Order: sequence, then structure tokens, then C-alpha cells
Amino acid sequence: MTLASPPSSVVSTRILDRTEVARDVILLGIEAPELVEKVRPGHFAMALLPGGQAAGVALGIYEARGERCSLLFFIAGDRTRRLGALRVGETLDIVAPLGNGFDCGGKARDIAIVAGGVGIASVLLPAQAFLARGARVRLFYGARTAERLVEAERFATEGCELSIATDDGSRGYHGVVTELLAREPAPEAILACGPTPMLRAVSAYAQERNVPAQLSLEEAFGCGVGGCWGCVVPIIGSSAQAPSFPPSDADGSDVVHARVCVEGPVFWAHELRW
Amino acid sequence: MVDPSGFDVSARIGSLVLPYPTVGLSGCYGSGAEFAPYVDLSRLGAVVLKSVTRRPRMGNPTPRIVHTPAGMLNAIGLQNPGIEWYLQHDVAKFAQTPCATIGSVAGFSVDDYAYVCERLAARSEIAAIELNISCPNVAHEGETFACDPNLTARVVRAARATTEKPIIAKLSPNVTDIGTIARAAVEAGADALAVVNTVRGMAIDIYRRKPRLGNVTGGLSGAAIRPIALLAVYEVARAVSVPIVGQGGIETASDAIEFLLAGASAVGIGTANFADPRAPMTILDGILAYMAQQNVRSLRDIVGTANAGFANSSQFEGDEG
Repeated sequence: MTLASPPSSVVSTRILDRTEVARDVILLGIEAPELVEKVRPGHFAMALLPGGQAAGVALGIYEARGERCSLLFFIAGDRTRRLGALRVGETLDIVAPLGNGFDCGGKARDIAIVAGGVGIASVLLPAQAFLARGARVRLFYGARTAERLVEAERFATEGCELSIATDDGSRGYHGVVTELLAREPAPEAILACGPTPMLRAVSAYAQERNVPAQLSLEEAFGCGVGGCWGCVVPIIGSSAQAPSFPPSDADGSDVVHARVCVEGPVFWAHELRW
Repeated sequence: MVDPSGFDVSARIGSLVLPYPTVGLSGCYGSGAEFAPYVDLSRLGAVVLKSVTRRPRMGNPTPRIVHTPAGMLNAIGLQNPGIEWYLQHDVAKFAQTPCATIGSVAGFSVDDYAYVCERLAARSEIAAIELNISCPNVAHEGETFACDPNLTARVVRAARATTEKPIIAKLSPNVTDIGTIARAAVEAGADALAVVNTVRGMAIDIYRRKPRLGNVTGGLSGAAIRPIALLAVYEVARAVSVPIVGQGGIETASDAIEFLLAGASAVGIGTANFADPRAPMTILDGILAYMAQQNVRSLRDIVGTANAGFANSSQFEGDEG
């Protein structure tokens, strides 16, 4: 991905709606018309916690239409619990849009989107972008259990073909979603967002089948804006996406640590060295 | 130097006068440019740049950041391109920064510090040098400099010999008596002290039964360490008479004012930028509001006033005010 990041800013938004789409899974609609104009598929936001005192939370931007954006997240700790406690009408400050986003151009007409767990939050916008230009979009969606699968029907309504996997077999294929992907005819391009083991499996599959794959990585963030180098991933230094940075002195290999928040979060699978 | 509001909030670090007492901290603030969309950098006293070492460093494996309910752990591991690359590709950009840029030097030997300091300080874009002798996140020696008064003195003396620019020694809180270290740094020629770096810590994932940081141990920052840092400033201000850049968990103007009252001349803002990148502006505005409310025209009139043993009241003598 070599897309330039758009200018981001601190945006004060108002909570328009709050839905607990499953237990401990929150969908927050926020009023942010100026953001809708800037957001591209795969961008993320740093949600600043009310009252501060802890780092902001990086969240994929789920929807962006009209005057409303939405953020979809799982309550998994103190910080997401604080975000989940926000009520309709309250203010949420976010830093956005951030990151490079997915490249939704190209000629591919048969797209596989692979999402695991909360990774679903970052793939609706790219799905819509591909569908809008007439591509076939297959969503391979994995979760631990059926009750952790959220918004699947929304993707079907948008026009995606759904393939579902759960770790416990409570819905769809009993196993990991990448096994399901491997059973189907290979797509022309892959987009993926989810936990690192899933992304590694997608990466291996894509390279084996010679399918270009864009992976949106998960990493623990500090600042989210490129200032702390907390969220890095090893990537080949000759990649167009690598920061202008000399290679490691460790082994003389052509590898650099790129920032997930600025150079990513979306990387070409074949350029990662993780 | 007086803010448009009519208050003098300047801070002196050796020969360098910062128009504002707020500083973006090394390793938290990139080169400053990363935060330019969210703050007016011309209303910041300085940015302390990310530490640079003699040779390039990949830094530590991930995860490098762990958020705990009581502070943030980091173990970045001094990732940087090395001084040669830095001088050729990065330093010229700092001329565009609307506030002073302070170079940060890290190393693994006394000679490393002197070598990098000399080369970096020679550049006009660099207003002063901070010696990072207290990084807790490198495998060998990193922090031992700041944990030993003799090693501290040797590093500072060697760096001092290479430049006339102000030198700030960044001290560690992970010591028995920080006053001893502070005296060693000042006697060796430090113009100012940064007090303090992160507090060592760790976290364990109880389901994987493994440390959560790639580096196993890290440095704790945020509000959790504020009282520790404040005490360190208080003690250092009684031990030496050079300016102190107080830092450690400062999130609000009242936090910053506590550090000033303990004896800091300026305050560093690090992890708070991650909670809200506007923090340096709201902290400055809050300091100005406090001065108005307390009828204080010059910030230096309150520095150390809550510290009965404040040693550096003499640092302002001879100033034009």
C-alpha cells in the first residue's frame, strides 16, 4: 500500500446511536460529517477516552455515510469498557482518519475478504467499495462462537456471499476460517483483517496460490500517529511502503520495522517478514 | 520572554531559553511533526527528539506496548536509524519545527555517547542535547549509566567535552538515592536534568503464561508513576541547583504545577499525548489560568515554592526577568 494518509484531526463527535449487537460487542454511531468525506476503506480512528488517563483506543471505522460514521468494538478490557459505557448524546473525541487504508482499485473482479473476530469492523467499507464497482465479494468470517459473530447478515444484505466458520462449530464450518477459504476456488485478490495467527495463515495461502493479499494488522498501539514506534512490523526494506530507514544491523538482511499506525495498518502479505 | 497573554512562562535550560515550559518528551513525540495536526507546536517549549545511537537499531520485538489498569508499559528498545543516517536524512527537517528541537543521545559505552553527541550537537537544527542514560529497555548496560554516579559522571563529562550546547542528563527513578546521581551529573557538567525516565515493570498474560511484552520487562509511564516522579523532582531540586525538566505521568495543568512547585523549571509531557494529543495545549492554558488566578506574572516565581529545601533558587539570579 502506498496510499498517502489524509490529514487527520481531533474530531469532537456526538453519539447518535449505541447498539449492543452481541454481548460485549458495541456499535457506536457518531455524528461526524467532515470525517465521512475523508474516510477511505481501511482507515482507523483513535478513540479518546472520556476523562483521559489512558491511551486512546484504535478502532476500525465500520461505516461512513451521510453525516454518520460508526465504530464497532468488543469490550475486552478497561479502556473498551469505558468506551462501551458512553451513552447516546454524549461526546466522543476521536483522532481520525488514520492509516493508509486498503487499495480498492485494480482489476480484480473476484474478491475474498477474510475477517476474524473484531476484524469485521474494518472490512465493511472495502466490501462496499468492491461491490459498488461490480465485483464479486465473498466474505469468509470466523469467530470463536456463533454469539461472537456479529453483523454477518449486514454483509449479506450489502451483497456479499457469506462463508462462516466458528472455532466451536456452533455456526457454519467447525474450524478456522482460513481452512474454509482454502476449500473454495481461489479469488483474484484477498483483503483480510483479524488476529495475527489468522493473518499469517491468509498470508501463507495467498503466497502459495500467488494471489495478492492485503492484510490489515492488529498491534498494540501507543500514540497511533507515528510518534512512539510502539506498533511495528518487520517488512522488506525495498517495499514502497517501508519508511526511509536503513536496514537492521542485526543480520544485514533487507528488513526494517515499519509502523503499523502510519505505514499501515494495511500491508501486502508478500512484503511482510514476520 | 512573555506569552501574548502577558505572563512570562519561559524556562531556562543552560543558555537555551524556552518560551514555554512544556516539552514533548523523547520517544513519545516523534520529531514533533507527527503531532502538528493536533497542536500548535509554536506554543510548545521544545520537542525532545527520539534517541539516536551510534549504529542503527531494529529495536525490540512486539508487543512493545502493554496498557495496564495502572499505567502503560513500553519496551521499544531504541529503534533508530543510527547517527550517520540520521544526520544525512532526518536532522535537516527539524529546521522546520516551530519550536526548539533537543537531540537525544543513547549509547552502550562512554565513547558512544561522546561520539554521537559531538556529531549531533554540531548541527544548527539541534538546540541542546539530552543524554538518555536511563533507558530501561535495552538488553545490556542501557540503564546502568543512570544507576551509578561514576558512570553518569563519565558519560556527562565525555559529552560535555564535545559541545558548548546545553546538556540535559535524563535520570532514572530506579535508583536508591537520586540526589547522588543528580550531583554527579551536575558536577560533570550537565546544564539541566530530566527527572525522570520510566519506572521498570512487567505484565504477564495468565492464560498464555508468558510475559506480555516482547522484551519481557519494560518501562511504566502514565499517572501511576506521577507521585514517584514528583518525589524524584523534589529530591533532585534539593540536591542540585540546575534547572529540572520534571516528567512522569503529567496529564493536566495541576499535575504540571505540582512539578513546578516541587522545583522543576519546565515539564515534560509523554504518555498523556496518547490519551489526548491536545494535552500540551490544555496544560499550557491551565498553567496560564492558574497564574492569573494566583496573580503570578512570572512562572519562575512559583518554581520550588513548595520545596523548603529548594537548592536552585539562585539559578534565576542575573536574569533580566
